[in-house]
Amino acid sequence: MIGALAATYLTATVEWVEAYTIVLAVALSIGWRRALTAALAAIAVLAILTSAGSFFLLRIGNLAVLQFLIGFFLILFGMRWLGKAIARGAGLKSLHDEDAEFASLRALPEINEARAAWAIAFNGVLLEGLEVWLIVVALGVQTHHTIAAAAAALAALIVVILAGFFLRKPLARVPENTIKFTVGCGILAFGTFWVMQSLGYIWPFQDAALLLLFAFNIAGGLAITALYKT
Amino acid sequence: MRGFIKTLFGDKRNFFVAAICILAAVIVLHTPAAPLAGIALPVLLLCGAAYLAKH
Repeated sequence: MIGALAATYLTATVEWVEAYTIVLAVALSIGWRRALTAALAAIAVLAILTSAGSFFLLRIGNLAVLQFLIGFFLILFGMRWLGKAIARGAGLKSLHDEDAEFASLRALPEINEARAAWAIAFNGVLLEGLEVWLIVVALGVQTHHTIAAAAAALAALIVVILAGFFLRKPLARVPENTIKFTVGCGILAFGTFWVMQSLGYIWPFQDAALLLLFAFNIAGGLAITALYKT
Repeated sequence: MRGFIKTLFGDKRNFFVAAICILAAVIVLHTPAAPLAGIALPVLLLCGAAYLAKH
């Protein structure tokens, strides 16, 4: 459970930092009050999606089907994040730059128009939050701790809001690629574990196999990054 | 809606690479080498992530 909560918290931190950059860029044009209503509206939609997602998944009576579905989505997510982190770590792709993202948002002509700017903030927070939603629902339902997973995502949101409130600029110093690499490895481990379990495979060392999978992904990911660097 | 689908399934390449890895693990699981399926899937997924990083 601690691993699932840590993965949720770290995923949420990365996504909320990106969402904060969007809200900050919009707030400088249309004011904090309007920008925050857009962000709150998006978070409300995400809360509804979390409840609906958990409700539907918990209605799946067959444990193996539930495990396979959740495991498959986690594999898709983990593989995507790990692939991106390897590419960025190896220099095949440029690192995500919050300052550059902020500058490009500020350069958008529609950001000075109230309704369009509101939509930019709403869509931005919603899109960044969808990945948080996926992790909260998938890890929460499978570990039977959806509320704790949602609380971990909320805790990350509060930390990002507080950091943003005091800094009043993009949170560019968050080590996003390192977090994405670690979370990608963790999520991939959870996905692998549950997909194989749903197919009838009995893991040696039971739940401890999760740690071995995580360590394998970290070591393998670092080796591939080093290989691509040369 | 597009963002929602992309969050769930990733792009086509991401989806097919993951599906092929799982399919290969299922095949291994139904051979006499079944105990090795728990090694096969993590190795295949790591190769998949390496492929996605390069392409």
